[in-house]
Amino acid sequence: MDLVARLLRAAPGGWARIALAVLLAACASFSSVALMGVSAWLLSRAAEHPPVMYLTAAAVLVRAFGISRGVFRYLERLVGHDIGLRLQSALRLDTYSTLARTTLLGRRRGDLLTRVVADVDAVLDLVVRVLLPFLSGLFVILATTVVIGVFSWPAAFALLLSAVLAGGVAPWLAARLSARADAASVPARGELANVVHELARTAPDLVAYEADGAALDRLAEADAKLAAIDARAAWTRGLATAVQALAAGVAVVAGLWFGTQAVRAGTLDHTMLAVLTLVPLALHEVFNDFTKAAQTWTRARVALDRVREVLSTNAVGSGDLPASDPVAVPRLAVRDLTIGWPGAAPLASGLDFTVGPGERVALVGPSGVGKTTLAATVLGLIPPVAGRVEVEGRVGYLAQDTHVFSTTVSENVRIGNRAATEDDVADALAQVRLDVDPGRLVGELGTALSGGEQRRLGLSRLVVGDAQVLVLDEPSEHLDPGTADALLDDVWAQASDKPLLVITHDPGVVSRCDRVVQLG
Amino acid sequence: MGVPKEDNGRGGVRPDAVPSVASGGSDAVGPTDAPARPRASGPIDPRLLRRGRATAGYMAGGVLIGCLTAILTVLQAWVLSRAIAGVFDAAPGLDYTSPVPGTGAWPALGGIIATLAAIFGGKALLAWLNTLLAHRAAASVKSRLRRDVMAARLASPLDDRTSSAGLVNLLTVGLDALDGFYAKYLPQLLLAVTVPLIVGVAILTADLTSAIIVALTLPLIPVFMMLVGWTTEARTARRWRTQQRLARHFADLVAGLPTLQVFGRAKAQAIGLRKTEDAHRAETMGTLRISFLSALVLELLATLSVAVVAVTIGFRVVHHEIDLATALFVLILAPEAFLPVRQVGVHYHDAADGMAAAQQAFDVIEGAEAPDVRAEEAPEVRAPASLEGPAATALVRVDAVGHTYPGASGPAVTGVSFDVAPGELVVLTGPSGGGKTTVLNALVGFLSPTTGTVQVPERRRIAYVGQNPGMLAGTIADNVRLGDARASDAGVADALTRAGAPGMDPARTVGDDGEGLSAGERRRVATARALVRIDAGADLMLLDEPTAGLDAEAEEALLRSLRATGVAAVVVSHRPAVLAEADRVVVIGGSANGEGGAS
Repeated sequence: MDLVARLLRAAPGGWARIALAVLLAACASFSSVALMGVSAWLLSRAAEHPPVMYLTAAAVLVRAFGISRGVFRYLERLVGHDIGLRLQSALRLDTYSTLARTTLLGRRRGDLLTRVVADVDAVLDLVVRVLLPFLSGLFVILATTVVIGVFSWPAAFALLLSAVLAGGVAPWLAARLSARADAASVPARGELANVVHELARTAPDLVAYEADGAALDRLAEADAKLAAIDARAAWTRGLATAVQALAAGVAVVAGLWFGTQAVRAGTLDHTMLAVLTLVPLALHEVFNDFTKAAQTWTRARVALDRVREVLSTNAVGSGDLPASDPVAVPRLAVRDLTIGWPGAAPLASGLDFTVGPGERVALVGPSGVGKTTLAATVLGLIPPVAGRVEVEGRVGYLAQDTHVFSTTVSENVRIGNRAATEDDVADALAQVRLDVDPGRLVGELGTALSGGEQRRLGLSRLVVGDAQVLVLDEPSEHLDPGTADALLDDVWAQASDKPLLVITHDPGVVSRCDRVVQLG
Repeated sequence: MGVPKEDNGRGGVRPDAVPSVASGGSDAVGPTDAPARPRASGPIDPRLLRRGRATAGYMAGGVLIGCLTAILTVLQAWVLSRAIAGVFDAAPGLDYTSPVPGTGAWPALGGIIATLAAIFGGKALLAWLNTLLAHRAAASVKSRLRRDVMAARLASPLDDRTSSAGLVNLLTVGLDALDGFYAKYLPQLLLAVTVPLIVGVAILTADLTSAIIVALTLPLIPVFMMLVGWTTEARTARRWRTQQRLARHFADLVAGLPTLQVFGRAKAQAIGLRKTEDAHRAETMGTLRISFLSALVLELLATLSVAVVAVTIGFRVVHHEIDLATALFVLILAPEAFLPVRQVGVHYHDAADGMAAAQQAFDVIEGAEAPDVRAEEAPEVRAPASLEGPAATALVRVDAVGHTYPGASGPAVTGVSFDVAPGELVVLTGPSGGGKTTVLNALVGFLSPTTGTVQVPERRRIAYVGQNPGMLAGTIADNVRLGDARASDAGVADALTRAGAPGMDPARTVGDDGEGLSAGERRRVATARALVRIDAGADLMLLDEPTAGLDAEAEEALLRSLRATGVAAVVVSHRPAVLAEADRVVVIGGSANGEGGAS
């Protein structure tokens, strides 16, 4: 909530927009309650057979409420979505800026990155499906209670009570119980995911070794466990729905009972009895979606908590690679270097090596000793724990999982150098022997590139950016041997007169290097 | 939350390029009740109803519950209207302008309230039952789909059009969206049929004019909604596409952040992101203005017709044409006739998410059933080699085999023929991308070649090691025993030694996806797996690049182990040491059509 409040303050006219949306939503809901109330009075008054002109005002009101409900609802949706989307945009920008400030290379946070994208969207849910229905519902309940209270305060009190039950207690109960069921289903869900993942990854081996039947049985087992937990959740959800139906009954019966007593006692005009009885019926229709809203609230809160965690995490490292100027003789040297993530235990120390122009040095070591951390340190993305890194010249890094952005090939190459011309791009593509049309759309919404092509694209970014010192991270990983060999040939050709540091555990790559530095 | 699958299979987008359900970033409109989606493929996907008898049973139960709910609603209206009118008449009031004392015959409230309590209790019970029933139906359909999708995946093991992460998403979060379909939409759809019908008949028995008003407006709702949908379809679809593109921009940037940072461009992109976000919001609001129109039509028609009914009967009560009890009965029932129809619109979104997920599941299932990737067909072209005539000695016979992948412009491989005698080591070599692996996959039975025939022994006689062998979560021994579940501890350890991993602890844990094992170690475990298979009686090895990543010494040792088994082997390799060891070398693919420069 404080997150929403902060975003609302930041968005221009945020509070005004949200207030307007709540008001419109309340008007829409109140229209349908008022439609029923005025209609009930109209019929009752009509039963006294008065001159027709006594009824015209009520008739006009009834028609007006008949129209206004739809119109208010339409406007409410537009205003509500507009502010919801504004907050979503603001949160996206916040999240992006925060993430951009902290160095992400070499941190196993791929999961976090993909999840935060989905989590941010929860803010729209929170506004449109939780905040607006609950706040507007509150207004309508209070307004209706006050109006009914004018005629019969016991009936109004009963109405308020039933509204709290249907609009507050039942949704709260449902959200709480289903949150508990959700928590209980997490392990079962995880197991199902594991089985599916394993089946998908090992499908050829399972089929070749005739283990596919057993694998499907494992799937069925995991599925059955999850289904059993879900069944319990459905039971409680049903309970909440039933409570709401009962609460509506309580309100109607109370209206009829107290209304009749008042009419008998002569304290209430008999034309008002229908109003007292039928208004609760219309009011309780408003609560239909409250259960769902409460569940959305639970889920959105969890998602936004994760976003908040991302936003409040302190920045690590420099984020962006600092700009560096080209030099005549590029060189890379580390002196008695200790590496590690800021705030974490050092991963390796006592590193000391130099890579001169045209030299190729392999950096090897078991996984987890901090090879990518060393790369991040050498690049200047994070500070060394101790010792020095001396880099002379523009440094370029080729990741093993180069991201291909969902745009043209040409724009993707320009990531390496914003100022590159079309000719520069074409030239770079030719140099790395990537034979694709620069105008072709690639990435998620375009055609896919093969593993080898992706890495060549990454290499072309280094070429166009005129990188003088090359740092390669597992250049042959996930490539078939033929593709890897061809790629390495071309990288080596590119780096003929440049210092080249290659992180690898592939003996084929090591054998191409002049020297080996052992890490860990 | 839902990610619409609007781009699936359109405009050259590969199916796996479409983000899987809940992978996020793209549903700015998603979580709201926008009834008019660009691709409304009818209220229900018929394939969803064909899945399992659970749905049929549910439909029957749902209709029954719907009818009972409607009958209780009518009863409730009847009891309420009588009671109110009874009290009204009993109390003193006016007639025209003169006061009248009232009949004084107060209705017995005790009985009325007991009846109402029973009615509301019954409605509550039915609502509860409906939730349980809907959950049952959803759970059984979900289980069925999960099994079918994975069976389809196993039926075409090489089909990686849907990534494993995509499958996980689809089968967990994705299919959960079906709950919305079954728990909200379908019940509501059934109520929308049963309730207006029963309520309409009830109104008809009470008052013809009101029944006509309801009967005239109710069908107008779907008609107008469709009209609005049709007239705005093209515009909505166009906006939707733009909106989707812009929505994914954020996800793309975040996923590429490490790359951007390495080039020092991450912070600068924030400016571009702000622009895209503004454009995205404008597009989305444009879409919503149109798609909320049909909801507006629905609300207007529904509420306005209730208002018209109320006013009409009001004036007829004045003129003594109907009595108060009947009028109230009609007033209570009129909104009830519209309520389920309105709720269908509200829950349409739940349905759309569920149907999108189901659609994706069906695509996977039907993709595997398509003839060109149907691996299960492969055994049909197999025959025990020993039954063959002249070449009775051949264990494997490949005759003029060619294969074209679905959607590929040309064949991956053509005209490959060779035989393998028992005990023979045949090496398939050739340029990268030349089709060696395709031929090997045809031998394993992962694909059936589009031309020519392949004869191989049945699967239990085959030991296979792929290029990137799959590892099960468990121990090294578990993974080796995939080859032969009955292999002894000594057998496993021995196989590991022969596979070039003598020091490897069989009890060592292998994480998800082979975590903790290097690529070379994985290959050795898979080789050990094949060796225990041989020990269990298999007599044909099919190996794809078994020595990749090994140094010369390890390569030599592995080749010796393979030879020592004495069984026939078909090996894909381009390593000189392997070629030297071969009894026969088959060169596949004359020209390189993939990455150039294979050694």
